[in-house]
Amino acid sequence: MTMTASKTALPPAPASGRGGRPGQQSAARRREALTGYLFTAPTVIGFLVFILGPLVAALYLSLTKYNILTAPKFVGFDNYARMFRDERLATTYGNTVLYVGAAVVLINGFALLFTVLINQRLPRALTYVFRSAYFFPYLVALVYVSIIWQALFQKDTGILNYYITALGGERIDWLNSSEFSKVSVIVVDTWRNVGFAMLIFVAALQEVPKDMVEAARMDGANEWQIFRSIVLPMISQATFFNITITIIGAFQIYESIIVLTRGGPGDASRSVVMYIAEVAFNKFDMGYASAIAVTLFLIIMLVTMVQFRLRKSWVNNE
Amino acid sequence: MSNTALLPSRSRSGKAVRRRPGVGKSVSVALLVLGAIGMIAPFLWMFTTSLRDAGHAYDLPPQWLPTEWDWSNYAGAVTGPVPILRNMFNSAVIAIAVSIGMIITAPMAGYAFAKLDFPGRNSIFVGLLSSLMVPAQVTIIPLFLLMRTFGLLDNPLSLILPGITGALGVFLLRQFFLGLPQEIIDAARMDGATAWQTYRLIALPLAKNAVSTLGVITFLGSWNAYFAPSIFLNSTDTATLPLGLVLMLGPYGAGNVAQVMAATTIAIAPALIVFLVAQRWIIASLTQSAVKG
Repeated sequence: MTMTASKTALPPAPASGRGGRPGQQSAARRREALTGYLFTAPTVIGFLVFILGPLVAALYLSLTKYNILTAPKFVGFDNYARMFRDERLATTYGNTVLYVGAAVVLINGFALLFTVLINQRLPRALTYVFRSAYFFPYLVALVYVSIIWQALFQKDTGILNYYITALGGERIDWLNSSEFSKVSVIVVDTWRNVGFAMLIFVAALQEVPKDMVEAARMDGANEWQIFRSIVLPMISQATFFNITITIIGAFQIYESIIVLTRGGPGDASRSVVMYIAEVAFNKFDMGYASAIAVTLFLIIMLVTMVQFRLRKSWVNNE
Repeated sequence: MSNTALLPSRSRSGKAVRRRPGVGKSVSVALLVLGAIGMIAPFLWMFTTSLRDAGHAYDLPPQWLPTEWDWSNYAGAVTGPVPILRNMFNSAVIAIAVSIGMIITAPMAGYAFAKLDFPGRNSIFVGLLSSLMVPAQVTIIPLFLLMRTFGLLDNPLSLILPGITGALGVFLLRQFFLGLPQEIIDAARMDGATAWQTYRLIALPLAKNAVSTLGVITFLGSWNAYFAPSIFLNSTDTATLPLGLVLMLGPYGAGNVAQVMAATTIAIAPALIVFLVAQRWIIASLTQSAVKG
């Protein structure tokens, strides 16, 4: 690229431009490389100090016993072995996996449903209003929406139970029963994230050629067949992206639970991230907490790598 | 694909199709309205409750529209035991500092990865991108120890320093600069502009929209953050707004609901403003990484 550019821009020395001035060429290249390093330096330093360094440190700490007060003591894989005997870890990981499963199914299911509904050549203004309404919760901090929802979830004074009893149902103890505390967390998580997934689906759906759908319809395909055989395959990349994002997000679920249930009753709704924070910053068992965090990292890395492999490389797109 | 089969069936099924979408459309709209109400109702309840006397906060049946316009809960919220205004100021300082840092560092790096040639360019970029799969939970313990060593716990710098650079911004801006014709860059260089001048005077102004979007996304991300602040900050005076609100709510939602909702309404305001002003840009940049990839 730079070759051709310099040839056209230096008409006085066209023939000798390439071979004749190697010194100048390489000086320019060196300057460009230096500029590249300088431009990327802040980001690279930030990456080394605040991500890669801490990651390596976490891997090391996970092999130690460390309570902050005395120096870390190397214990090999003891922390990892300990995880298999830790019932609280099993409970919190179990809850987290439930949140992940629910997120994948509910967020993407609802998002796909609303996407299909909104994609019916409605008036533009209406589409815009709907899309905005569904997307807004995603912009609001999870803490804030959880604060609102915990009020709606109150057993005796909450609006949800008011409508449930008005319809003849029983009051539900949303926040303090071991089953429904999990349900509450799932409701808030789904409610907040549907709009984002929907956004991705709508954008992908716009890439589906209209004539192809039209042709299939002319051929007598019904809406379900069109959806199943044309639309779904064409938005598979978006679906895949959404599933990855929801898995990663749900594995890290934290503040909504703090606001809604505090992890309770007992550990009934506690997520693994809450457990990591407790072990690290209440019990100062930094080594063990790091080991748990490393397992979370491995899971998220695995999910992301699968996503990376199954779609075209991010680096080579133009 | 199946062009040959098209002609005979066109007129027959054409009629059938025309009737069905009519019904389908109104059912769709009805379902979408229902969903949209579900999305907006909690915010509506928050707002009307914030305008109500605390004694009527939990009135049932719920009143969805304001029954009174009593702003005293807002006054009560900001003068209560939790220094909400102070917390808001802390949040704003951190979010602004982080956004400014990000819109300086990310476009520079994005430009370098897109338009400059230097050894190791692609491997460095891939390395940076891979940081997107490192969850905050795995780095938080070493970061905590790092901040503790440098005496930065309970200090906004513990959140600002790690926040001013980031791979996502670099990725977004690199995407933008890749789309910029190389001729523009080359022409500037031929006219004798230095690399810095080319970037600062030619490329960066063209990236104005992408940079603004990045700034807005970064601001909102920082304004909404809870996890790291909850671990690095531990006094009410240094707390950010999300931490302050959780304190105000108290355990098991025991706080004054009307005041909590007033404070939450204030806390949501930036998101609402962003939503009204910049929704379109944000949506465009959020979807670009997913759909074109």
